[in-house]
Order: sequence, then structure tokens, then C-alpha cells
Amino acid sequence: MGAHRRALAAGAAAIGLALATNPASAEDVTLEFVVWNYSLDTILDNVAKFEAANPGIQVNVTDYTWPDYHDSLVLRFRSGTQTDVIYAGQDWLPGWAAAGFLAPLNEIAPEQIEQWKAEMAPFTVSDMTHDGNIYGLPYYADTISLVYNAKILEEAGIAVPETWDDLMAAARQLKADGMEHPIVYEYDQELPNFFDAFVAQVYGRGGDLFDAEGNAIFDDPSNAAYQQLEWLQQAVGADLVAFESHESTIIPAMNTGNHAFTIVYNYVLAAMNNAAEQPRAGEFALAPMPGDAHATLGFTKFYAITAAAAADPAQREAAWKFLEFMAGPPYDVAKRWAVEKGLGFGQLPLLQDPDVIAAWEGWVDMEVLKQQVETARAGTWTEWTSMWSAFFRPLMAQAMVGEAEVADVMRQGAQRWNEMKEQFASR
Amino acid sequence: MTREGGSGYPWLWVAPALLPVLVFTLYPVGQALWTSLHNVQLLFPMVTWAGTGNYERVIASDYFVTGLINSAKMVLVAAPSVVALGVLIALLLSRRFIGRGIVRAVILLPWALPGAITAVLWVWVFNPSWGVLNGLLRWLGLIDRSIPWLTDPALAFASVAVAHVWSQIPFAVVLVMAALATLPRELMEAATVDGATAGQRFVHVIFPQIRAIIVVLLVYNALVAFTTYDVVYAMTGGGPGTATSLLSFQIWRESFSMYDFGSGSAVAFIVVAISGLMIFAIVKALPSDLFADG
Repeated sequence: MGAHRRALAAGAAAIGLALATNPASAEDVTLEFVVWNYSLDTILDNVAKFEAANPGIQVNVTDYTWPDYHDSLVLRFRSGTQTDVIYAGQDWLPGWAAAGFLAPLNEIAPEQIEQWKAEMAPFTVSDMTHDGNIYGLPYYADTISLVYNAKILEEAGIAVPETWDDLMAAARQLKADGMEHPIVYEYDQELPNFFDAFVAQVYGRGGDLFDAEGNAIFDDPSNAAYQQLEWLQQAVGADLVAFESHESTIIPAMNTGNHAFTIVYNYVLAAMNNAAEQPRAGEFALAPMPGDAHATLGFTKFYAITAAAAADPAQREAAWKFLEFMAGPPYDVAKRWAVEKGLGFGQLPLLQDPDVIAAWEGWVDMEVLKQQVETARAGTWTEWTSMWSAFFRPLMAQAMVGEAEVADVMRQGAQRWNEMKEQFASR
Repeated sequence: MTREGGSGYPWLWVAPALLPVLVFTLYPVGQALWTSLHNVQLLFPMVTWAGTGNYERVIASDYFVTGLINSAKMVLVAAPSVVALGVLIALLLSRRFIGRGIVRAVILLPWALPGAITAVLWVWVFNPSWGVLNGLLRWLGLIDRSIPWLTDPALAFASVAVAHVWSQIPFAVVLVMAALATLPRELMEAATVDGATAGQRFVHVIFPQIRAIIVVLLVYNALVAFTTYDVVYAMTGGGPGTATSLLSFQIWRESFSMYDFGSGSAVAFIVVAISGLMIFAIVKALPSDLFADG
């Protein structure tokens, strides 16, 4: 018994000593980090590096698929499930901020936010701002662009299209030469991308769907959006367009050589030109969005801290450290995403980074890319945009395949937008 | 002994079965009914009384009529197809042939697949650029241009219906095979000895014996077709346009796309009500002696 007592006392002393020499364990913080599952291995590796550099902060990662992400997050918020740091998107920000789900970062770290803002693309700052507050630091920022198969165009003697009429003429010529569907288009009316790509095309024409007061103006036949939907309807009607339901299937489709044009996020071009995986890598190039303005939609996905996390000082401090690591200077994590995955970024200094340039020159003309980024504009994101977009996308899809008239679709869409605007204003 | 009716003892014994029903069925149904009578927007915390407002709004919407018509079409196409093909395959699998065990196992495979996987498989079949079906038709020289199975409004519904029917056939096969296994062997042998053809044996001997299970399968498949969601969502997202938007799809759309849980719950209760009416009508239409022995 005496020996047992001595052993117990020695064990207790050892535990006490261990606790005393590791004070961080008394202040351990666990962050719940929620992401969509793009390149989960890289996310987990970045998290592991953060944990190694910040003893005492543990980060649990929960991932959802992209289509399920928004709904899952809203349900987490509403059900009170612990959620501290998240991936957020420019289109969801107004609704989430108004509902009180997120914390303004300029209230958590005002000085850093003010400094870092100056190094971000204007559309990125706009995408992360609501009611004058900044709610995020960029994880991924990109533009939507016209991608073409340079080899096919060269062989057919076709110049890179400058306008939508040029693109229609090029597609008709390729079809006459035997290509069944010169354009392949991402078509899934349930995905926000479907609407975003349309907005990018409208910006290419130099137009907008809304006026300065946020009223819908796209039901006017002279509006660029109205004209662009007519263009899409004509292109589909002329059997120039093949549909794919997701960008991941656009990549192999373009690599069959059966299509010459598509409209996608820039990182899709990186995958198309990936020589290790794609048979026609190197044939694909970026063109400024057709139209008089050559502008496009820029958008930003960002890290945000939830209001629940910000309410607790320890969670808030840990969450801010995590954001700093993931998206703050010297932008190592953003650079990693850019170099390894071809993801775009909102932190402009990375455009001059030699490693980024070396990695990107293999799949994109950096000058064209810079030009596209400079002309990129943020979208119109309101509390009701995502709900309205869910209403409008099936209408757009109907018009594209000739199931509905462009005039009817635009009238219904504009009417619904203006109704929702009034409803939300009266809340 | 305790007095009759004066003890809570029976409730204690029933509780283990009753509690899960209360928690997992009655409470959610009650909660959904309450939600359908209130304005419940997922993004906003305030909840107000709506009365029948949600029901009136969804019934008056353009999507409701389209969804109802598409759901009715799905019932009319899918339920008879599943049952007819299920009976046919079950009859074939009841015969003796080499490799019957393997074929039986393979035939059941679609049943084991989740709806989302079924949808992915069929998207691969129907993809216009690199899908199996267009590739096969091209190889056979039957087409010289891709057929847009999932993006042509006229073809998309048929494509989705094919995927749905394929996923439901195994269950029908299993039930019909079970019914066929109970047929008296002497009866079949007697019919064969009497010179009955295969068709005559089916009409006069087999069908009367398995008609009860066929009716059960028809009712079941009508309900499954009316409430199907996963395959449609994953294959077409209800599109193109509204070509494959079913009423059940509207429950998801209102709730998770428009974030209006009040309206989503209202559509759910309308679907339940229509399903109930459907069951009532079918049961009323059945002959009263259908399930009688012999």
C-alpha cells in the first residue's frame, strides 16, 4: 500500500508539473472553421501549420460541398451550432451581415484592416463591405473570363473575338467547318455561378442590371442584360452551344477539341492547361470579356469571423490570429493557393510576386489577366440578391433554351427584384 | 392486481415504441404545420402569424401549377413502367438459367445506390458531349449530332423519368419474385400440361395470384414518383427552366433556395394532402375482395 501511495503521489506531482510548465493548456481555444470542400487536403495542411505556429489554439475543420454550403451555414447559425471562422461569399454577405451572423473586422482589428485594405483589389474591398463595415479577408478572388482554344482559332484563321457579334460569327464559321458546338457553357440553374457568368457578360458590354439606386433596369430592350440574354437565346437556338452542368466537366469537354469557347472562372483555365492531366493543355488562352467595355465581374470569397465568436474575447482573439495567418501579409497562404492551385487573389501585391508569376505564366498571359482584373467590377449584392437570383435563374434558363420570351423573363425578373427591394426596405 | 384502466403500467410498456414516434414523426409534423402557418424566413429571426397566407401564395404562384403537372406526369409515367418492368424481370428471373444468381444480384444493384449516385451515373449516360448514350448511338450510326438529353426541355423530363424508373425497379422485382415463389407449383404444371401458352399462363394463372402485390406496388410507386426529389435535383436541378420541376422540388426551392420555410412547409403539406387523396382514391377504386385469400 505504501508503495502504491508513493506512486500515486509521484504521478500527481508529475501531472501538476506538466500543467505548470504548459500554461497554454489552461487557455486552450478551439475554433470551429467551416469551409466548402475545395482542395480539403490543402486546407487541412494550412490549418496544421497554423496550429503548429500557435500552440493553444486548436482548429476543427468542417466541410460541406459547394452546392450545400450556404444552406448548411444558415442552419448552423440559426441552430446555434458553434461556428467561429467561415468561408463566406460576396453574394451572401448582405443577408448574413443584416441577420447579425457575422462580425465586422474593422471593429476587431481596425488598424490592420485599414492598412491591408489599401493592398486589395477594389472589387474585393467592395465584395467584403456591407454598410461601411469590412467583414472579411480574401481567401480567393477571381474574374470570369472568355476562354478560347488558340490552336483551333489559329487553324481556322479566326481572330480572338472582341465583341459578342464577333463571337457569334466565329462560332458560326466553326460550325460551318464541322464543329458541332463551338461554345460550351456552364448551365445549372440552381448554381449562383449561372447568374454570375451572365452578369460578367453584361459588364463586358458595358452595361448593368441595376441603376445607381438599385432599381432593376434590365427589362428595357436597350439594356445590355436584355441584349445579352437575347444573344444567348440566339446562340442556343442556332445550335452553337453545348451545355455542361459544372465547370469540372467543362475542363474535359474543352479538352476533347470539340469546342472552341467557354466562359468560366480563371482558375478553370489553369486546370485546362494542366499538362499533367489534360491532353490539350497549352492550347487554351484568356481573352478579355467581349463587348465595348471588356469589363467583367470580379468576385471574392473570404474568411469571416462569426458574431458568436467575436462575442467571446478568447475566441475573438484566436479567430483573428487565424484570419491573419490565412489572409494577412505576407500573404503566404493566398500565395500557396495561387501557386499550387491557380486560385486568384484579392491581395494585389501577389500580382508582382515572382513565384506567382513563374507559376502562372505556364497557363495564362499575365498581361491579359492584369487587364481583366483592372477592369473587373463588383456585383450588386443586397440582402435579397441571392433569393432573387434563385427566382431569376430558372427564368434565364427558360429563355436560353427558347422555353420563354426574353421580354417576359426580363419583365418578371425586374418586377420581382423591385418587389423584394420594397419588402426589405419596409422591414 | 390493479384496477382496469387505473394503472399507467400499459403506457410504460408502450413508451419505448411510442417515444420515437412522438419525437421523430409527430413532433416534426406538428412543427412543420406550425411553420406553414407562420412567416418564417431563414435569414431573419422574427416570426409572424401568416394564417393560410403561405398556402394561398404558393398555390397562386406560376411554379405550383407547373410542378403539379410535372409531378402528375411523373406518376403516370413512372408507376406503371416500374411495375410492368418489375413484373417482366421477375418472371424472367424466376426461370432457371446459368448464372441466374449473378443476374439476380446485379439486378438488385440500383436499389442499393443512393439517389445522388444514381443521378451522377445517369448524367454520365446522358451527357451530350461525352455521355455513353450519344457515344453508343453515334457508334451504331444512328445519329450524327449530339442529342441534348438533359438540356432540351422535351427530352429532359424523359431522361429524368428513365433514371427514376431504373432506380425503383429492383424493389418491384423483389416483391413480385416473392409473390411468384408462393404460387402452387402443381397449378403451373397443370396449366402447362393443358397446353396453355406463356401468355395464357400469365393472364389466367399467375396474374390473379399476384394482383394484390401489383396493386400494392402501383400505390407505392405512385407515391414515390409523386414525392421523388433527389434524382431530379442532382440531374437537372428542376430545369431546364421548369421542365423537370416537380412539386416535391418546390419544397426544397421555397425552403432552401428562397429561404422561406413557411412557404416550403406549406408546399410540403399540400404534397401530403394530395398524396393522401391519391391513396384514398386508389383504395376506394380497388375491388373489395382484392386482398382476400384465394
